[in-house]
Amino acid sequence: MTGAVDVRAVTKRYPGSLALDEVSLHVAAGEFMTLLGSSGSGKSTLLNVVAGFTEPTSGSVLVDDADITGVPPHRRELGMVFQHYALFPHMNVFENVAFPLRRRKVRGAELRRRVGDALEVVELGALGERRPAQLSGGQQQRVALARAIVFQPRVLLMDEPLGALDKRLREQLQLEIKRLHRELGITFVFVTHDQEEALTMSDRVALLREGRIVQVGTPQELYETPASRYVAEFLGESNLLDEDGGLLLVRPQHLRIGPPDGPGLRAVVREVIYVGGGLRIEVERPGGQRLVARTTVRPEELPRPGDEVVAHWSEHDSVNVPA
Amino acid sequence: MRPGRIALWVLAALTAVYLVLPVFIVIPTSFSASSFLEFPPKEWSGRWYENFFTDPVWLDSALASLRVAVLVTLLSLVLGTAAALGMVRGRYRLRALVSGLVMAPVLVPYVIVGLAVYATFLELGLTQTTLGFVLVHTALAVPYVVITVSSSLVSFDRRLEQAAMSLGAGPVSTFARVTLPLIAPGLAGGAVFAFVTSFDEVVTGVFLSGPDLTTLPVQMWSGVRVQIDPTVAAVSTMLLLVTLAVFATAGLLRRRKS
Ligand SMILES: Nc1ncnc2c1ncn2[C@@H]1O[C@H](COP(=O)(O)OP(=O)(O)O)[C@@H](O)[C@H]1O
Ligand SMILES: [Mg+2]
Repeated sequence: MTGAVDVRAVTKRYPGSLALDEVSLHVAAGEFMTLLGSSGSGKSTLLNVVAGFTEPTSGSVLVDDADITGVPPHRRELGMVFQHYALFPHMNVFENVAFPLRRRKVRGAELRRRVGDALEVVELGALGERRPAQLSGGQQQRVALARAIVFQPRVLLMDEPLGALDKRLREQLQLEIKRLHRELGITFVFVTHDQEEALTMSDRVALLREGRIVQVGTPQELYETPASRYVAEFLGESNLLDEDGGLLLVRPQHLRIGPPDGPGLRAVVREVIYVGGGLRIEVERPGGQRLVARTTVRPEELPRPGDEVVAHWSEHDSVNVPA
Repeated sequence: MRPGRIALWVLAALTAVYLVLPVFIVIPTSFSASSFLEFPPKEWSGRWYENFFTDPVWLDSALASLRVAVLVTLLSLVLGTAAALGMVRGRYRLRALVSGLVMAPVLVPYVIVGLAVYATFLELGLTQTTLGFVLVHTALAVPYVVITVSSSLVSFDRRLEQAAMSLGAGPVSTFARVTLPLIAPGLAGGAVFAFVTSFDEVVTGVFLSGPDLTTLPVQMWSGVRVQIDPTVAAVSTMLLLVTLAVFATAGLLRRRKS
């Protein structure tokens, strides 16, 4: 399998800001890697350095062990999908998808067959004659996907491709992108600021913060053994407890709320809400720290705001987080 | 209707009449049978149209104007588009200075341009030549192309160029297949302005014209100055039709696009 991406000590300095600070990242061939981070953390800059639109101040980018740092984007053979689709408005769907093939001198029956196949893959076979403006946002993004894979790139780069879509459509396209990844077997580098999206879609996630990668790992690793308080708080809800010099992480689904006479941390109930078929209970400790518990089983006695309770957990459900 | 609205309508109507009044004088005059400019004509005829199409002086100057205007349009489209690209996309310190220089020809009075050009072109042997006219008119037309193309470029989404590049299109292919088609309305607008600027230009034309080469507007001007030749009215009427046709076509094209 081909399409391994190696980012080596890449720094990108803009006047007045350091967008990337010595970032190194290895993406294995065929892997689904997500760059996750809040707005301004450097995700797009990193993706654009790989794509060739942004020249790094220092460092290098390798694809399959070949240094492509100085290679212009049109010779990199990497597919790219943009947040706002970037379809050519003066061409119909067929011509948009045919564009990369025509640049590679594919003609005639083979051109039609490959465009047709790519449109089939994204389930848009019948819309070749339409203009992009006549399609919905979800359909436009499918065309953009077809256009980016039709020339069989080694790597597909995607910069917040679902960011402009509503929730339902986003979830549907998440599944389709996953399916596409399985079917094509090529490397995907996917950018998002949505941690749920990152956790559900990726083989591995690289979490960026202020131009640095703070942790790389499988979704499970990042969620269960975060390398820092920042990672723990970025991914899902978390209860972080100071414990003689260290930090203890207890996820809300592992925190139990019990009657005040039992063992555990004393707290007062502040909020009880039904969410997704379960309960979300927020309690406040004497110092003012808030803890969150989620449970799907209904306790015999429903706590009410103002009740004195204790919060407790089993030893094996808590994780030490490096401070 | 309220009195205010009535006053507004009257004012608008008067302004419109004022703007097109010359047309109502020129068109009837061009069909006069009289040997002088006469309005309203006492007798009608098409003799001045016939005169235009048979008199080599008129035909030569019309062809010269057409030739110059076409060349000016092409040249100023190339230069103006390149300048607009540099002005909109470039990042350099002297950008303000560059845009000032590019726009200067529309700000400097044409008489001054004509005088300066006359003095130098006389020495270079460029007066009364197609090249001389094309050079001067292009300088006057480029700013209009820069304005229309710049406004197209400002609203152009550069991610489309990035997309094209990621799909394997080099810089030339990206420009030809993505950028150019999408800024074409700006180019078309610029072309119309450039053509009309050259075709209609009389001030510097007076300095550069002579027996070897006289443009149509200059010929018209001498047509009324030296002898009162009603062919001028016929030419004006035809020019009016041509101009209307050009703008109507541009308008139709734009409507079909959107
Ligand atoms: N062209 C640019 N010029 C100056 N600063 C930039 C430019 N592009 C990005 N930056 C800065 O680099 C940082 C990272 O930006 P970006 O990679 O776009 O973040 P993200 O995609 O994670 O939201 C931000 O602080 C941003 O302001
Ligand atoms: Mg971004």
